[in-house]
Amino acid sequence: MTEATPAPAPARTRHAALVWMTSQSPIVVTVLALVLGFFVGALIIITTTPAVLDAWRGLFHSWGAPGDALKVTFDNVGAAYRSMFTGSVFDPAQLWHSMTTGKGFDASLTPISETLTYATPLIIISTGVGIAFQTGLFNIGANGQAVLGGIAGGVAGSMLHMPMILHLPVTLIAGIAGGMVCGVIPGVLKAFTGAHEVIVTIMLNYVIYAFLLFAVLSTAFQQPGQSNDISRTMAPSAQLPPLFGAASGLRVSYGIFVALAVVLFAWWFLDRSSIGFDFRVTGANPSAAKASGISSRTVIVLVFLISGGLAGLAGIVQAASTTHYIDGGFLIGNAGIGFTAITIALLGRNRPMGILLSSLLFAALGVGGRTMQAATGIPLDLATVIQSIVVLFVATPVLVKEIFHLRAAKTEVLQLATQGWGS
Amino acid sequence: MSIAPAPAPTQVATFRPSGRTRIISIIMIVIGLLTALVFGLGSAASAHSSLTFTPINLANAPWHLGRLTLLTRWTNVILGLITVALGAEVFLRQPRRGVMVRFGVVAVLFLLALLLWASRAPGPSQVGYVNVTAVLIGSSEVAMVLIFGALSGLMCERSGVVNIAIEGQYIGGAFFGSVIASTTHDFFLAAIAGMVAGALLGLLLAFLSLRYLVDQIIVGVVIVTMISYLSSYLNLQVLTPYPQYNTGNLAPNLPIPLLSKIPIIGPVFFNQSAFFYLMLVLVGVISFALFKTRYGLHVRAVGEHPHAAATVGINVVRVRYINVVLGGAIAGIGGVAFMASQGQFQPGYTSGLGYIALAAMIFGRWRPSGAVAASVIFGLSVYLSENLQAYSIPISTEILGMFPYIITIVVVAGLIGRVRAPGADGIPYRHD
Repeated sequence: MTEATPAPAPARTRHAALVWMTSQSPIVVTVLALVLGFFVGALIIITTTPAVLDAWRGLFHSWGAPGDALKVTFDNVGAAYRSMFTGSVFDPAQLWHSMTTGKGFDASLTPISETLTYATPLIIISTGVGIAFQTGLFNIGANGQAVLGGIAGGVAGSMLHMPMILHLPVTLIAGIAGGMVCGVIPGVLKAFTGAHEVIVTIMLNYVIYAFLLFAVLSTAFQQPGQSNDISRTMAPSAQLPPLFGAASGLRVSYGIFVALAVVLFAWWFLDRSSIGFDFRVTGANPSAAKASGISSRTVIVLVFLISGGLAGLAGIVQAASTTHYIDGGFLIGNAGIGFTAITIALLGRNRPMGILLSSLLFAALGVGGRTMQAATGIPLDLATVIQSIVVLFVATPVLVKEIFHLRAAKTEVLQLATQGWGS
Repeated sequence: MSIAPAPAPTQVATFRPSGRTRIISIIMIVIGLLTALVFGLGSAASAHSSLTFTPINLANAPWHLGRLTLLTRWTNVILGLITVALGAEVFLRQPRRGVMVRFGVVAVLFLLALLLWASRAPGPSQVGYVNVTAVLIGSSEVAMVLIFGALSGLMCERSGVVNIAIEGQYIGGAFFGSVIASTTHDFFLAAIAGMVAGALLGLLLAFLSLRYLVDQIIVGVVIVTMISYLSSYLNLQVLTPYPQYNTGNLAPNLPIPLLSKIPIIGPVFFNQSAFFYLMLVLVGVISFALFKTRYGLHVRAVGEHPHAAATVGINVVRVRYINVVLGGAIAGIGGVAFMASQGQFQPGYTSGLGYIALAAMIFGRWRPSGAVAASVIFGLSVYLSENLQAYSIPISTEILGMFPYIITIVVVAGLIGRVRAPGADGIPYRHD
């Protein structure tokens, strides 16, 4: 800590901004990490796509022009990343078509609507994970908490009957409560027995996955007349309606406002409320927090209540705005939402605004990944691999700067630490 | 945030008999009462449970043991009362040592009572008996995989690095092990491939956490996520179009002459795959290396108090690099062993075994022998949760499936704090 404080402002002020950008600001590292992530992703595509490999193999057999092999390579990688973009942001051809003909605007808005739909639960759940991180706690159990929230909310939404003005809030609150029930277990165990939250939450995830199957196959909750692992459909009064009406075909729902409200709440909570201040002190320096009279047990339990509650809210928002039912793979299949949330929180540096932007980015990656899979046959899982690589680089700013020969403070680490088993 | 001071060694030896011991004893008593009431008095007075010992696939074994028939009700009542007695003893005496051993005994008694209850006849079961040898063989396969993982965690944590990426190293090992075993039909090469995959993931963990001081748990979790999806991607992109790279690869059993003929013990310990014997050797080697060699002393010093170790000239970072890479390699072999017991690679089929292995290591108090004992108990519970359904008991598969995970939570919650992690476990080290 003694050496290597960040370089003092250089004499030539003209370059001060540039130096700040490259050595201090997190934005540059984030962008470079994204570049590296997509670069590694491209390498993975190149080394595993048969068409590309065949093109390079042909080079050795028939002394073909290396240009051809290169062209196949760039075509494949380009097609993959292009379909990712057109599937998640907009398709220029479609947009041009609707602008020139005045028709099909819904179709050209579909990608961005899908990205927002996908981002809605991600924003909520990642905010919860981020709040826990800011307190020095690692909530890997967000996945199970979201699932339990979805189940609780799904039960309330499908089995209660009341007017929408009551039913929707009751459903959302049931979801929050479900997440809290699942979240408070690791919180209490951590606070009172010292059991590390990482192991407890991972194990609870598996318990909840089993419980999900049990619930959707139970006679009470299973869709009547079905033998599959599918739940009852939520009543229309418990659903989050689509923002532009069902007729538009755009799936983005009022849930996005719930997500924005959560981001606002998190910003207020962490930056303005006194409990939030206690949280951050506990995360930054547990012994200082203890010395100033903050009860670490209370903080731990509260963090897990809030983090779990938000995860549960994410689960029920997902169910209430898209499928309106729950199945055996709810939020688990493909990218388990809880693990995506961890990467999003890390990428957004646990700040509400950062999390909002990272959620949009990773939602676009996920949605685009589906388009990529449909268009090029490259499996969607690649999107999650890229996300993980980006996060590894974001967590290692010094490495990123070394790769790009930027000035780096030697002591720079992601300001984040979890606690070991013993403590 | 940078360097937390290592805990004072006074915390080490003494432990206060506290409320925690009481909680564990109460849990034990509750388990005992459940055993006696549900599994004991819950069975009809006329119900019998039969235990058989001759393994099904060893019909021509040179020995044949008859079946042992017990009255289900009273056997389980006795098992429950023994459990209650153990719990009461812990509650009243608050022993300083051996609480975990007693807890392990309670877990085994509970699983035994569950088996007896599930297989009682007349009862819901069509099977009507428990083949003890088959249960032990099945559990030993799971336990073997867990022991590889627990040893990996032990190697890393004894040197002060938390390796939560064991799950990822399993997956990496299983994937490359399957590809190599399918193409070369050689399990030795497959084991090497798995070792390399695991070691590379260990190296990644070491590189990021030792050189760049990134939080070890975060790196570990992200590595697991990355490798899970990378393996799923490769499975779809490569193994599905070319199924010949992922075909049946059950490791053959290598019976040891004479020893494998011993009743019960023979088939469980001496008629196993090469991975099983390798695991046994590794347990011995690591125990010896950790506690009897100079290097082991260095490792433990680095894990307990890196700054003190550095002042006597031990290269802290190098020791940690070596151990984390070796630990990764061991977990990688565990992945190959798992693949070889399942026959092929499937995405996601390790289903948290890596984390259970970590819990087994904690349960085993960061000692090889303890890790083995804990892995055996976890292996038994994982195996039973997957196979009890054969007895058509009135508990759904899903609820049974929760069982090992709940046990893990209880163990971790009940025992952490009673057991002491290496002093510098999980704390980044910066030389200054």
